[in-house]
Amino acid sequence: MSDAKPVLEIRNLRGGYGEVDILNGIDLVLREKEILTVAGTNGAGKSTLAKAIVGLLPRVTGEIRVDGQDILAVPTYRRMAHGIGYVPQVSNVFAALSITENLQVVAGVPDRKRRIEEMFALFPLLGERRRARAGSLSGGERQQLAFARALMSRPTLMVLDEPTAALAPAKVAEAFALIARLPSLGVSTLIVEQRARQSLAISDWGSILDGGKVALEGAADVLLADPRAAALYLGQAG
Amino acid sequence: MFYAQLIVNGLVQGLIVGLAALAVTLVFGVARFANAATGDTMTFGAYAALIGHKATGSLVVAGGAAVGATALLSLTVYALVFRKLAGRSVVALLVTSIGVGFLLRSVLGIVFGHNQQLFTVPLVRPIRFNGLIINPFDLQLAAVAAVALVGVFLVLYATPIGRRMRAVADNRELALVSGIRPERVMIALWLLVGAVTGVAGMMLGMKTIVSPELGWEMLLPAFAAAILGGIGSPVGAVLAGLLLGVAQELSTPFVGFTYKLSISFVVLLLVLLVRPRGLFGRLEGVR
Repeated sequence: MSDAKPVLEIRNLRGGYGEVDILNGIDLVLREKEILTVAGTNGAGKSTLAKAIVGLLPRVTGEIRVDGQDILAVPTYRRMAHGIGYVPQVSNVFAALSITENLQVVAGVPDRKRRIEEMFALFPLLGERRRARAGSLSGGERQQLAFARALMSRPTLMVLDEPTAALAPAKVAEAFALIARLPSLGVSTLIVEQRARQSLAISDWGSILDGGKVALEGAADVLLADPRAAALYLGQAG
Repeated sequence: MFYAQLIVNGLVQGLIVGLAALAVTLVFGVARFANAATGDTMTFGAYAALIGHKATGSLVVAGGAAVGATALLSLTVYALVFRKLAGRSVVALLVTSIGVGFLLRSVLGIVFGHNQQLFTVPLVRPIRFNGLIINPFDLQLAAVAAVALVGVFLVLYATPIGRRMRAVADNRELALVSGIRPERVMIALWLLVGAVTGVAGMMLGMKTIVSPELGWEMLLPAFAAAILGGIGSPVGAVLAGLLLGVAQELSTPFVGFTYKLSISFVVLLLVLLVRPRGLFGRLEGVR
């Protein structure tokens, strides 16, 4: 385990949508400028975990600390101010708004105009089409806009829910290359991903979920070589 | 020329329907329910304008009273009723809004009585233009509607709170994780909707007669226009209102005054058969 400062600490996290728990006591830690892949089969609780961190899961107990502060009781709209950026799996842009408007609507961004220009410098394609309606963008362009929107607030933690799920195969490598750059921007990243092998390949750490619990965790390169990990997520695109 | 005259008459009526439909579609888009109290809120706006006009004789004061009082009423209804029901089903909110409408209509009936009341506006000679007869008062009303529409669209498209309103309408969860505070958006929404409804009520009151049932009769055409324009589309609501207003007037020689309202629904049915999402609706906007 590295000595870097923990950015995200989750302890005994339980919860779900209705009566039945989907998360059954998850513990994990993500440290500064590191990437953590959360993998597992369908129904293991990966996306539910992502939703719990950003505040979209209706029923949650346990502990979620971001930069040392417990955010479990913080309302969803205020979690961004705690340094969390989130890219959902689907519907990850405001389709009816222009590219620029997608960035303008993000609340609480100091020096907003400059930050938008910084995003356009990071994603030049978006800058070229800044007046285009987000609903008219291709899957890859939408993904870039979703990242730019999430990065607007200068997050310290990015939560990515299946960031490659809606992409054409040719664009998947581009997306992982983009995610691999996030630590250089000072951002720690938790990726929930079906393409576990590719995701682990750009990650520092990995956690494999099974039945709403962490079944296996460790350094990403160790997990990649571990046949038990493969057995837990195989059957998925790898 | 006869039909051209009907079109001119229908445009003013259409602006009223369009403004009411705009109020319906804004609430549906952002708060996600069909607000059946829209018609009775219009009636409130008409009475507010009537009081302002009777007290001062000024149409500007009447307009200000309609906009201010109706915006305040709208915000109050949100704070006391709809805010507490946030997260409830669409049906629960619709039924509640019907109740709010009934309550409003009853209170207006008790306070102002059921006598029909009129705006006393000065008689002016109509303008004749290439055989068309245009009432200057209609032109004033059209100008008021145009200013109201420009105002609403400026708020929606050129201000931060308007963009946030559109963001919430587009994707509520994404708006939340983007730090958008739902309460602020809702307050702005209900103030804006109240102001628009007030203008629509004032115009309707000035075009017809003011009674507690005034706006209730406008509710169905407003809903029809909101659906026809593509529910959730502000531009669509206004254009569909104009279309329905003109269609109603054009149908009068054939079906008579009594049945012209039904033409709204014939147009609505025909359009929806060809284009189920309405004229300006987007598939991703229908949730």
